[in-house]
Amino acid sequence: MSHTLIVSGVALEIEERGSGSPLLFLHPGEGLQANRPWIDALARTHRVIAPNHPGFGGSALPDWFGTVDDIAYLYLDLIKQLKLEKTLLVGACFGGWIAAEMAVRNTAALSGLVLAAPLGIKIGGHLDRDITDMHSLARAEFMAKAWADPAKGAIDYESLPDTELAGIARGRESLALFGWKPYMHNPRLRRWLHRIDIPTTLIWGDRDGIVSPAYGEGWQREIPGATMHTIANAGHYPHWEQPDAFAARVAAFANTL
Amino acid sequence: MRTWYFSEMAYHPAWEKGIARGSLRVNFPNEAVDPVEAGKLLNRYLDEFRLCDEVGIDIMVNEHHSTATCMTVSVPMALAVIARETKKSRLLTLGNPIANRPDPVRVAEEMAWLDCLSGGRLEMGLVKGAPYEIAPANSNPARLMRRYWEAHDLILKALSTHDGPFSWEGEYYHYRNVNIWPRPIQQPHPPVWMTGMSVDTGTLAAERGHVVGTLLSGGLAKPMYDAYRKRARELGWEAQPDRFAYAAIIGVGHTREEGYRRADQIADYVRTAPLVYEGFTNPPGYNSLGANVAILKHGARANRIVTDRNGEQINHRTATVEQFMDTETVFAGTPDDVFNQLKAFNARMGGVGHLLFFGQGGHLSHQDAMSNISLFGKEVAPRLLELGVPEVAAAE
Repeated sequence: MSHTLIVSGVALEIEERGSGSPLLFLHPGEGLQANRPWIDALARTHRVIAPNHPGFGGSALPDWFGTVDDIAYLYLDLIKQLKLEKTLLVGACFGGWIAAEMAVRNTAALSGLVLAAPLGIKIGGHLDRDITDMHSLARAEFMAKAWADPAKGAIDYESLPDTELAGIARGRESLALFGWKPYMHNPRLRRWLHRIDIPTTLIWGDRDGIVSPAYGEGWQREIPGATMHTIANAGHYPHWEQPDAFAARVAAFANTL
Repeated sequence: MRTWYFSEMAYHPAWEKGIARGSLRVNFPNEAVDPVEAGKLLNRYLDEFRLCDEVGIDIMVNEHHSTATCMTVSVPMALAVIARETKKSRLLTLGNPIANRPDPVRVAEEMAWLDCLSGGRLEMGLVKGAPYEIAPANSNPARLMRRYWEAHDLILKALSTHDGPFSWEGEYYHYRNVNIWPRPIQQPHPPVWMTGMSVDTGTLAAERGHVVGTLLSGGLAKPMYDAYRKRARELGWEAQPDRFAYAAIIGVGHTREEGYRRADQIADYVRTAPLVYEGFTNPPGYNSLGANVAILKHGARANRIVTDRNGEQINHRTATVEQFMDTETVFAGTPDDVFNQLKAFNARMGGVGHLLFFGQGGHLSHQDAMSNISLFGKEVAPRLLELGVPEVAAAE
């Protein structure tokens, strides 16, 4: 169930499930989709805390708020406010970018870092597109690139109440706000990834058409000691497309911490 | 009602290829352009603008990017040529897409320069721009209007400040020494125009007293004008027709058939121009939350804007001239026909002070375009000048 928490003046809509050691889950650009199974799968082993990012779902987006830096500081404040310790930080896609921005700043309350197909860094040259331009694609083409089986990601918008549709539309606008230019990355972030001093693992869908496994290897090179694992029959959202395999991978990593 | 002629200076020789690819904009490679042919067309279109000065009508120029529908990439560049070739026409930029411009002070400089060059004939449209302009400019569609208003305020401040330099430390723009040379002839600044399709735009334009125009938007015009008039009244002034502009395709001929044929050829622009790859049609944040909820629920058709007088949507890919005429996006026929149609339109709208005369749309030949401008300028425009607030509206 969700509840609202004011953190640093920002009203966050947070899903919380399960018990045990804390797992902070940072959702992808497509939103939290809290009624999907992966939160429950993760909650089998952890107390899952999953905020809707500012401007997504029912979370506020104050006028002054507008960068991924802002989100990173906000969630470090959230960890402090909830008095979380030894938190497993899990970020998917856009949420992976946020998680990395948090981890280069402060890992004191973190036990480990899981990055699932994160956006956020630039590896190639001026003419290389590390991150597929999701915003220059028709929806059907985006789905075909983002999913191993696009039918699994289909959302029946007509069946959703307007409040939920508004949450999705707000999220799309907010993703643009945070990630339009430079496109879905911070040109400086790669240079600071060496500061991540906690165990880190990367999870990649084997059929991700948004960011390639080679891009993941770029992340792996920059984060000391990072491991990388592939999940079969998954696109850009392995937590969504293969929730059990994803949760098992996260649990296996948590057991090593 | 004043008349402002405009054409988008289309590169129509590539339209068929673009239609076959399903997109005339953004992702239609420019190998489809023959640049020598483009140059010939640009010169031809500029000749058509020059004729407006001779027949006594005003001139509007707009810009688009990365498209076969419009070769004007820079409003000030086109107007610089036109200003030199004309003497009397007022010159309207509609407009400068200021939320897509990285440097608003540069916009102010260009506008001041044009005002000087033209002897104070400039009218300055500051516009949001179409959704498919976001990609060529790579400007962020989120909070677009916040950026628009900051650019707007900075441009007006730069044009009207004469004891500078001044500094600007805003959310989006940062300058330490703004002091444009030359400064505009018209003080405090050339008249400002906006464009829109919504009640909100009408209200916001009224709060600044700007002219508000709407382009080929049929049934959406009246509610926007009404919102403007209402807000102006709340603020203690009465909005005259000179605060309102409306763009329509117009074909006028010596016979009704000739007028309809010209309108039909110009209407090919409307049938063609909206064709753009889906990925560029609705950048997130460009449309309102309410509009995006409707699009999620019912598809892009929910956001189609052109309706006829009965509120029925028309398919502007295939509509006939008569159907377009029902939506008040096309006026056509003899000079008398067109005058009578516009007189009735003016009455329905409660008085519109500016007609943006879309008089060339691609396939219409140079000879036809010149005749269209000439006939309209001589036979229709002088009579439109007599139209003011319609009697019914004045009595309300």
